[in-house]
Amino acid sequence: MTVAGLIRVASTGTAGAAVPRPRRSRIAAARLGGGLAVLVPIVILSSFITYSLGALSNSDPAATILGQDAATPAAVRRLNHALGLDHPLVVQYWHWLTRAVRGNLGHSYFTQIPVSQSISQRLPVDLSIALLAVVLAVLIGGSAGVAAAIRRGGWLDRGVTAVCSAASTLPAFVVGIILVVLFAMTAHLLPANGYVGPSTSIGQWLEHIILPSLALSLQVSADIARQLRTSLVEVLEQDYIVGATVRGLPYRRILVRHALRNAAGPALTILGNDFPIMLSGAVAAEAVFSLPGLGQLLLESAQTRDIPVVQGLLLVISSFVIVVNLIVNTTLNWLYRTSDGIGT
Amino acid sequence: MSRSSIPGELSVAKEGGAAGGQRSLIGPRSVLRLRSARIAVAVLVVIGILTAFGATLAPQNPLTVNANALFQGPGPHHLLGTDYLGRDVLSRLMAGTRLSVLTALEAVGIGLVLGTGPGIATVFLGRWFDFAANRVTDALMTLPWIFFAVAVTAALGNGLVQAMVPVGILLAPFFFRVTRAATLEHARAQYVEAAALLGATKLHIVRVHVLRKVLPTIAVTTASMAAAALLAVSFLTFLGIGVQPPAPTWGGVLSSDLGYLAQAPWAPFIPGALIAITVGALNALADAFRDRSGAGTLVLASPIIRTHSTLEPADDDEQSQYVA
Amino acid sequence: MTTSNLSTSPDIAAPGTVAGLRSDGADGAADEVLRVDDLHVSVHHGAAMAIRGISLRVRAGEIVGLVGESGSGKTLTCRTALGVLPPGCAIERGTVAFAGQDVTARSRRDWERLHGSHIGAVFQDPASYLTPSITVGSQLAEVLRVKLGLGRRAAHRRALELFGAVGLHQPERVYHQIPAELSGGMLQRAMIAIAISCDPQLLVADEATTALDVTIQAEVIELLLQLRDQRGLAVLFVSHDLAVVTELCDRVVVFYAGEVVESGPAEEIVTRPRHPYTQALLQVASVGDFRRRELRVIAGQPPRVGADIAGCRFAARCPAAISACRAGAVQPVLVGDQHQVRCVRAADAVNVAELAAR
Repeated sequence: MTVAGLIRVASTGTAGAAVPRPRRSRIAAARLGGGLAVLVPIVILSSFITYSLGALSNSDPAATILGQDAATPAAVRRLNHALGLDHPLVVQYWHWLTRAVRGNLGHSYFTQIPVSQSISQRLPVDLSIALLAVVLAVLIGGSAGVAAAIRRGGWLDRGVTAVCSAASTLPAFVVGIILVVLFAMTAHLLPANGYVGPSTSIGQWLEHIILPSLALSLQVSADIARQLRTSLVEVLEQDYIVGATVRGLPYRRILVRHALRNAAGPALTILGNDFPIMLSGAVAAEAVFSLPGLGQLLLESAQTRDIPVVQGLLLVISSFVIVVNLIVNTTLNWLYRTSDGIGT
Repeated sequence: MSRSSIPGELSVAKEGGAAGGQRSLIGPRSVLRLRSARIAVAVLVVIGILTAFGATLAPQNPLTVNANALFQGPGPHHLLGTDYLGRDVLSRLMAGTRLSVLTALEAVGIGLVLGTGPGIATVFLGRWFDFAANRVTDALMTLPWIFFAVAVTAALGNGLVQAMVPVGILLAPFFFRVTRAATLEHARAQYVEAAALLGATKLHIVRVHVLRKVLPTIAVTTASMAAAALLAVSFLTFLGIGVQPPAPTWGGVLSSDLGYLAQAPWAPFIPGALIAITVGALNALADAFRDRSGAGTLVLASPIIRTHSTLEPADDDEQSQYVA
Repeated sequence: MTTSNLSTSPDIAAPGTVAGLRSDGADGAADEVLRVDDLHVSVHHGAAMAIRGISLRVRAGEIVGLVGESGSGKTLTCRTALGVLPPGCAIERGTVAFAGQDVTARSRRDWERLHGSHIGAVFQDPASYLTPSITVGSQLAEVLRVKLGLGRRAAHRRALELFGAVGLHQPERVYHQIPAELSGGMLQRAMIAIAISCDPQLLVADEATTALDVTIQAEVIELLLQLRDQRGLAVLFVSHDLAVVTELCDRVVVFYAGEVVESGPAEEIVTRPRHPYTQALLQVASVGDFRRRELRVIAGQPPRVGADIAGCRFAARCPAAISACRAGAVQPVLVGDQHQVRCVRAADAVNVAELAAR
């Protein structure tokens, strides 16, 4: 086949076979490894910060434990040695960390109850509301963002954006109070306080955690919705959506499988970043709704200056945040399985 | 999302504001041209007056207990009603302003000092410093602030002043990131290169060229973070930290109102509205600064409590600290 | 390439006949895959009329080329034929019919039924038109599963077959690659595979070969011809490259400033172009009889999109323009077998080259 003499701009296409590139799975693994490598110093740093808070305290735990009368200098010194408190800070930190990794977080100064036990007793409460809050944030924020993006410029879009701007300023404790007033007091629909575990009754469990979780999730939902709307609007204008349309794929499928997959990333990042704030909100929710959770434990032990409990709590909470961040990053990696890096 | 990094382009106007060209330090006059800013400033001036003279200006003694006038609604004698001990709510709130506002300012001050200095410096001090600073920032941002704040009270005692120190420390990463980004934007300009080639020291460059351009961004962030700090104070006092009853605080009033919802379901909305109005004014001010100066902004998850997030599409490479 | 001199062959119809005959003398509309009648499309939310009165048809098994400069309206026409007008654009007047059915104002759901199964599309930059994070094989298999109801394994097998049919070596390997990992030529073939996977009657190709190397281009052209021969596929082929169009197309439609200025069999257009613009285009492209050694340009600029001009829209740049050209709207005239020209001087057998020589 001949092609006649042409005057044309040189093409930019490349001839020949596909450009060889490293396997995608290897790249994803490398990125995950890199992410983990960054995380390790972060974990150590934040746990050191939390640990050294105890050292800032000028309270004398040995004296407190022994009590006024028995706290002779000799007894104090002996107890200090037994507790390992006469080593330099870094050494203490190291002992504490290595023991913590194995599950031993020490004992309360006052009740002698193992810290890990106190924490694990109350953990389910916070886990319940935190996880439900994440689910709610994704559901509410996700649907609002998608709805606004699909009908861009319409009244739904403007309404959602306005509501999101307002909701974004409402922290958990404000929302919690509003919810309590609205639902529990006035309408008597849902309980205003207390916690019932799922093992006792799923129905009651849900009743008790729905309002606190809602309070936690509202702010994050608003942020997710706004970000998702922006990203989705941008993605929907891309050529590959036109490409998918002319292939005859149903709109819903295009929206989920082609558009959302690429638009969800930034919103997911927001979820990961806002998670520590949600945990702070959990403390508010516990206060407003009288839930026996880690926040209450924190307040009590801070009051009595029960340092090991405080340190243990901080470590557990930080780990929680880091785990969630890992999950978010893994999901992001999975969403963006391109060999050219994260991004649309 | 990309930010313009063309050398010579002085800043990226993301919304409103003067386009391109020399950006002068935003003056109070230009900000006040916005009506929302005027209202915001008016509100803040009132709050300021209350901070200074709240206790003396209060119509009644905030501590006076009156068993005959419990849970009264707003009325001629008590403009905002009375609480569970018959104390005048309006007076309590006015008197409580000082503690809330001053400690919030304390936290913002700490964050400002700890964050902006390194934020600017990191651009000039080399890759290792930047790496270390960023990792420290990341570490701080994984801590839920309330846990950190309460933990500090465990160590240092149950005072509000002590509790706001960790709040301030946790505000610092956000000042750091925003300042760093703004400095990066401006430090790469060609005239800065030229100055360096002419032998200007880094300190000189910072002082003369960079600082002026970065100040609008700092102003915006300060206003936003002040709002966050105020919410933090309210929350802390709500939890009972740093409160010496019967001294009134905004959060403390809110907390006691919550305990007596059955008798007075309207009550929490009063301190709630006060907090919301003040926070709203600060956010409006931040927006006004941003509009007038055209300072490029990052969308950041606010450190403490989500206040008004800046509305731009996210600059995610700045946000996601763990993403490669 | 024929090198016959431009000759004034007798017109089939009497000179000056207004060709109200929209059917080009073809027998019935039965095998008309695409028919566009008097299409007017506005852009920028009605601010400008980008396409004014375009009519064209594509018959089964026919390859029709649309040529013209950027902004002449060919891509917009394509988009209209596909039912994917960009936001802000609207059909103001006229009709579009696919296989006899009016599709001018159809809903998204109706178009969904047509897309893929009856109309396929390939575009200039296949990498932008395929979802970046999904493998090309999955994207093809997806179409097969959704439109043809094939099961997972069957779709996989068929996809490999299709990749092979379009000339991709190692279809199994290509299947598992994402668009960024494939070269332009391979991606275009993959896109063609996807476009024809459900055996459509019409393929709309918008600058499909423009961004490809010359050799790859030749192969893609070969592929399209094969598809035409084997499956009776009709193709609407948009290009600004006259040389490719003359290789590939049975008929050519020349666009200028939102109008069709000339249309007819490819051979006719290339050897006996009647419109001054077509002649100039051929000169610039150095195709056919108008081959030159020096680089030629057409002086001046096309009118702004949507500009309202009295009379012929090319008059301002036309070396053969006379006063009558600016008098009023110019209607198309039949000057040969299915050969129409929108020119006041159609009967005069204008030759731009000769005019320039004088």
